[in-house]
Amino acid sequence: MIKSYKFRRRIANFFIYLLLAILGIIWVSPFVYLVMHSFRAESMTTVPYLIPHEWTFDNYIKLFTSAGSSSINFPRWFINTFVVAIFSCIISTISVLAVSYTFSRLRFGARKKLMNVAMILGMFPGFMTMIAIYYLLKAMGLNQNLIALVICYSSGAGLGFQISKGFFDTIPRALDEAATIDGATRNQIFWKIILPMSKPIVVYTVLTSFIGPWCDFILAKIIMGDKRELYTVAIGLQSMVSAEFINEYYKQFLAGSVMVAIPITTLFLIMQRYYVEGVTAGGVKG
Amino acid sequence: MKKILAILLAGMMTATVFAGCGGGGNTESGGSGSDTQSSSDDGGAEVKDANLVDVSVFGDEDNISLKVWAPDKAVSLVKEQIEAFKAAYPEKTFTKIEVVAQGEGDAGTQLMNDASTAADVFSFASDQLNKLVDAKVIAPVAFAKAVTDMNSEACVTAGTLQDTLYAYPETNDNGYYLVYDKTVVSDEQAGKLEDVLAACKEAGKKFIFNCGNGFYGCTFAFTAGVKIDGLEEDGVTQKFTDYDEAEAVKTLQAFSKLMHEYKGTFTSLDNAQVASGFSTGTLGAGVDGSWNTNADQDALKDNFGAAKLPTINVDGTDKQLISLFGYKYIGVNAASQFPAAAQVLAYYLAGETCQQQRAEKLGWGPSNKNVQGMDVVTKSAVQQAIKQQSENACVQVNIAPTFWDPMGNLGNKLVADDTDPDDAAYFSKLLKDTVANVRDEG
Repeated sequence: MIKSYKFRRRIANFFIYLLLAILGIIWVSPFVYLVMHSFRAESMTTVPYLIPHEWTFDNYIKLFTSAGSSSINFPRWFINTFVVAIFSCIISTISVLAVSYTFSRLRFGARKKLMNVAMILGMFPGFMTMIAIYYLLKAMGLNQNLIALVICYSSGAGLGFQISKGFFDTIPRALDEAATIDGATRNQIFWKIILPMSKPIVVYTVLTSFIGPWCDFILAKIIMGDKRELYTVAIGLQSMVSAEFINEYYKQFLAGSVMVAIPITTLFLIMQRYYVEGVTAGGVKG
Repeated sequence: MKKILAILLAGMMTATVFAGCGGGGNTESGGSGSDTQSSSDDGGAEVKDANLVDVSVFGDEDNISLKVWAPDKAVSLVKEQIEAFKAAYPEKTFTKIEVVAQGEGDAGTQLMNDASTAADVFSFASDQLNKLVDAKVIAPVAFAKAVTDMNSEACVTAGTLQDTLYAYPETNDNGYYLVYDKTVVSDEQAGKLEDVLAACKEAGKKFIFNCGNGFYGCTFAFTAGVKIDGLEEDGVTQKFTDYDEAEAVKTLQAFSKLMHEYKGTFTSLDNAQVASGFSTGTLGAGVDGSWNTNADQDALKDNFGAAKLPTINVDGTDKQLISLFGYKYIGVNAASQFPAAAQVLAYYLAGETCQQQRAEKLGWGPSNKNVQGMDVVTKSAVQQAIKQQSENACVQVNIAPTFWDPMGNLGNKLVADDTDPDDAAYFSKLLKDTVANVRDEG
């Protein structure tokens, strides 16, 4: 009886793992294709087979050295995006955490109402106000400008406070009270007590706000228009596969897509350590 | 729960209201820079020759600053041409003439996004003309008579809407034609679709025709006699010429029969596969656009062959394949700060010298009649193929947005495995459905 139970469980597990493996392969195959073909030497555009016949680093070398010979300038776009990502990451992380702390710890008149307003505003898709944002920025003389992108990506960040507020709510208020008795101000409590205990959520906020600029396409496209030297990687990569360029730049496009993954992955790997640490250590200690 | 639902619904409703506003705002912004019309009228006396005009046309514009959009490949040449332009008008000071890379296919959209930051002088493809004129972002040509005289009639006609010429013809080459590997298909065989396919099959290579893309798929309808004839008066419904249905059905059947007979050889793939197929040696011939010519040539080197589209045998008569053919134009932004100077520059860039330079250095087919007679065009197989195909084509202008998908569907159905080429009733229905869907009556 026991044997047959074990046997049945094994059979069931076999099928479950088989299904998971198949799903995993399907999920990962586009990435494998992307990476493999970014090292492909033969043919300019697409090829009808999966594994490249000849391998080379040329696509990556060209991607970073051929800049200037045409309006395709990947290194410049990469730096643009990196700079925008760093600044909007810093600004939005601080604002998200500050807003969350405020809503979690302070009690003031319109607290509930403001939270509801933020909730409703958050439901609107970001691109809805795109045209209005464009004309506002233009009126300020900020269109076709990287500062405009930093403003766009970080100014609305505070609305995304819900998750970190939820986290702060789990930190016992007794800690705040103890600090208050010792003479700490609200500001000091935030920086010295709450933040050090909230590494996981800080990491989470940093990651999400850093990734944003790498992925955003519509807003950046509208703001930059024809100013190619200020493009971010998302628009830049798209322009590499437009009808005008695809015949020459398809493989460099693949290489560029792999390059984009590098800063995000690196950041994630560094942060993940703290993330796990933070989760396991927990926030609640005497 | 009810409360949350109510808030959600309210939010959604507000969102749709705003979304509507967004769309409306967009079209309005397109029309905002509209009233600035070119100051100079069409007078033959102002035009000095095929490139230059009298300096008085500038009026009191001086310290001129302009922005030009050209496709990336043309940027360095256009920069040289602009230096020559500045030198040709020594009386005027040009503070800055900037050349910015901007693909022709996207120029119209970029211009309508915000005309005030867009280029003063821009290259674009003919299918955007309607949109630009409707949005009033493009200024009419100031030297219409001279431009009409210099350029081929078809280009000028396609650039004219409501009796006004809106853009300076730049090229006469925006179409597709037959490219083939000379080691597989001989020059004689390239004349007939049957021979091309037979040669490819014999060599064990493929033939590519992008049937599922309406831009190419409409060839079947046009060849069958179902040609487009502008738009109805409502401005959105596609008009077709009268056609003989029995004849049209027979032609479609002939296409489908060939596709099925040469199954495995005749493939409907994306055009990016053409150059790629030539370089891997799996392709014998294909139908490809003029913008891919360089890539195809690179792949085949000396074995590169080009010809107009072949004929197809329908009931014993060889019928020429009719394609869709467009032009490229140079337009002037109606919101330009220097409207007269922009017109003069556009006239220069579309003029004889510049067209000749582009034909020589970039291989662009000229629209200028004199340049068309020059060696650079008459001695080039590609240019001749393009020119001959342009004589067997419907012009890509005044095309309804509903045109592309049904035409692509038609191509897909012809090539589909489960289509029976002998079933005349099926093709009759398919044709009727296609026409009805294009006219949005389905």
